[in-house]
Amino acid sequence: MADYAFPHRHLLGIEGLNRLDIETLLALGDRYVELNRSRVKHADVLAGRTLVNLFFENSTRTQGSFEIAGRRLGADVVTMPIATSSVKKGETLIDTAMTLNAMRPDLLVIRHGSSGAVKLLSRKVDGAVINAGDGTHEHPTQALLDALTIRRRVGDISGLRIAICGDILHSRVARSNVACLNVLGAEVRLIAPRTLTPPGAAEWGAEVFTDMRKGLDGCDVVMMLRLQQERMDGAYLPSAREFFHFYGLDAEKLDHAKPNAFVMHPGPMNRGVEIESGIADHKTRSLITEQVEMGVAVRMAVLETLAKNAPDIGAKN
Amino acid sequence: MTGRTVIYNARVIDPATALDEKGGVLIENGLIVEAGAGVTKATAADLKIDAKGKALAPGLIDLRVKTGEPGAENKETLQTASDAAAAGGVTTFVVMPDTDPVIDSVALVDFIQRRAEGVAKVKVLPAGGLTLGLDGTKMSEIGLIKEAGAVFFTNGDKPVEDAGVLRRAMTYAASFDALVASRPDTPALSKNTVMNAGAFAARLGLRGTPPEAEWIALQRDLMLAETTGVRLLADCISTGRSLDAVEEARANGVKVSCSVAAYSLFFNELDVGDYLTYCKVQPPFRKEEDRMALLDGLKRGAIDAVVSAHDPQPTEDKRLPIADAAFGAVGLETLLTALLSLALREEIPLAVALKPVTSGPADLLGLPQGRLAKGAPADLVLFDPAAPWACDRDDLTSRSKNSPFDGRRLEGRVLRTWVNGATVFERG
Repeated sequence: MADYAFPHRHLLGIEGLNRLDIETLLALGDRYVELNRSRVKHADVLAGRTLVNLFFENSTRTQGSFEIAGRRLGADVVTMPIATSSVKKGETLIDTAMTLNAMRPDLLVIRHGSSGAVKLLSRKVDGAVINAGDGTHEHPTQALLDALTIRRRVGDISGLRIAICGDILHSRVARSNVACLNVLGAEVRLIAPRTLTPPGAAEWGAEVFTDMRKGLDGCDVVMMLRLQQERMDGAYLPSAREFFHFYGLDAEKLDHAKPNAFVMHPGPMNRGVEIESGIADHKTRSLITEQVEMGVAVRMAVLETLAKNAPDIGAKN
Repeated sequence: MTGRTVIYNARVIDPATALDEKGGVLIENGLIVEAGAGVTKATAADLKIDAKGKALAPGLIDLRVKTGEPGAENKETLQTASDAAAAGGVTTFVVMPDTDPVIDSVALVDFIQRRAEGVAKVKVLPAGGLTLGLDGTKMSEIGLIKEAGAVFFTNGDKPVEDAGVLRRAMTYAASFDALVASRPDTPALSKNTVMNAGAFAARLGLRGTPPEAEWIALQRDLMLAETTGVRLLADCISTGRSLDAVEEARANGVKVSCSVAAYSLFFNELDVGDYLTYCKVQPPFRKEEDRMALLDGLKRGAIDAVVSAHDPQPTEDKRLPIADAAFGAVGLETLLTALLSLALREEIPLAVALKPVTSGPADLLGLPQGRLAKGAPADLVLFDPAAPWACDRDDLTSRSKNSPFDGRRLEGRVLRTWVNGATVFERG
């Protein structure tokens, strides 16, 4: 697998990746976990290359994670300060991309609030583009870090029963995770009230449940999603209280999953809304902080892999 | 135009009479004198044009065109739209009232007519705003505007949400036998959406318009048409169920006709593919079964008019993340070729496929053109019904290039277009 040539120029989503693509990234991620746990956390594979972080939507952890990943690999990392207010107009969006492109970055990490926006930008630039989340479409590095976390702590993903619970309709994490876990052979379940279940979700290769207890039955892993209140422009739910009653993860509901089932959450959490604090902080069953750690490793793997494929920007005329 | 012109050696197609035979058309003073097998090279004339076996049909009538004039001439003017129309074999088109200012007064109807007379190669007919400023609250001067020459009344792409306002406007319009066009839409269900609702939109992470947005509004419009007795054009219906509803109402005596955008017959929701903003239109591309149902309606003659739904948008409003991009697609130059491609692929007789762009809309508006009848204006199009070509948006005549047909392989090309017997387009 070490000499497998990753056949994509950008990482825009999990859709379009095959099992070998994903496993190649995860295997490299494993190696970087070891590096990150050693005293000198440095590799020089990206020395001399420029990584630009372009976040049109606010982010703390993903932006920081990419920044650390880039620095540990020796890249020159620039995080462009794009206030969410100053770049609202789309023309400026493409102009921003063209302007940045002229500075010849090798790698561009982009997050944008509109589905498809990162793909649009990827057509306008020369460097490799990594989607750090576009609207309600995809967040591929989250799915990869989740897969890496599960693989390391639970074991081979093939055959595991994994539930994804909460606001699936507005979740790019859910879309990427369903695609990723399906490719890796897991049995995926989606648990949400009907208003938060995307139309046609049953065709995604996942079983859909409205009853959380039934959905959790026999699950090895329970992935909770953030209830994205800021995305709700209408009343998808009567109240946070009612949501917690039926879909919040507490000890009683978790008892319906396998004994010792693991709990995950992409963060940031709404404690008491989608997850009870005691579960989130559970010493043996919660993988939430470990997900963050895996995030840096998997992003290092992605950056290194795509940098290999990136055209030699410096050699251009 | 004086003198006699004969176009001979043609495949003459007249959807009004289901004519499809070898022959020609004889023109004098801009009017058709004779059409069909009786017109040959031997027919006496001052000018003889050899059609070389290509198809000759009435010029197309398009009931739904937006230009940017007045108010957004950067998108399209009456002149550029009419150039595009001529290149597409469209010899008459109706401009929608959603301009800036809105065509909701006698003065604006007059403006459009005068501008068109000066610059347009083809016939331009204004539609009047049903409500003042299209704001959906006060009806416009329907009687006076009709007298001034508006061919129907519509609120364009801003549906009248208040059923009371719509009911009174329809009731009033019925007094003047005015045709009211309404594109059925329920804004509460369609606002901030990008494409058809469903599994594909959900996968792309895009907000979808459910078909109920169309069905609910259509049912309301049909009921009000029934009770007010107005002539209703259900404008740009996009689903099979909508067509069923229109046919059922018609069978029950409601004076309802319907139009379908050519793109609804050609594309389905999957064509939005990789967030293609040129495929962001209202109503959206629907499911394949809807497309098939509408195509079946075309074959059965259940669709009164196929329209281009021409809606030019400049690059800067389309080259955006799809959620922020403008709705709309240009269509004047692809209306005929889309129908010809469908006719070829689906084996639809040309006289059937072309009826909703010729005699169908002509009958709705009471126009003399759209047919090869003696005494009708010599608005004609000569085309090769099977010539293959690839659409490149940069080759389009329209000022805006937002065509979903960009990059598509199509069959059928316009060779020459006449308006009142005068050539307005000829492919070089």
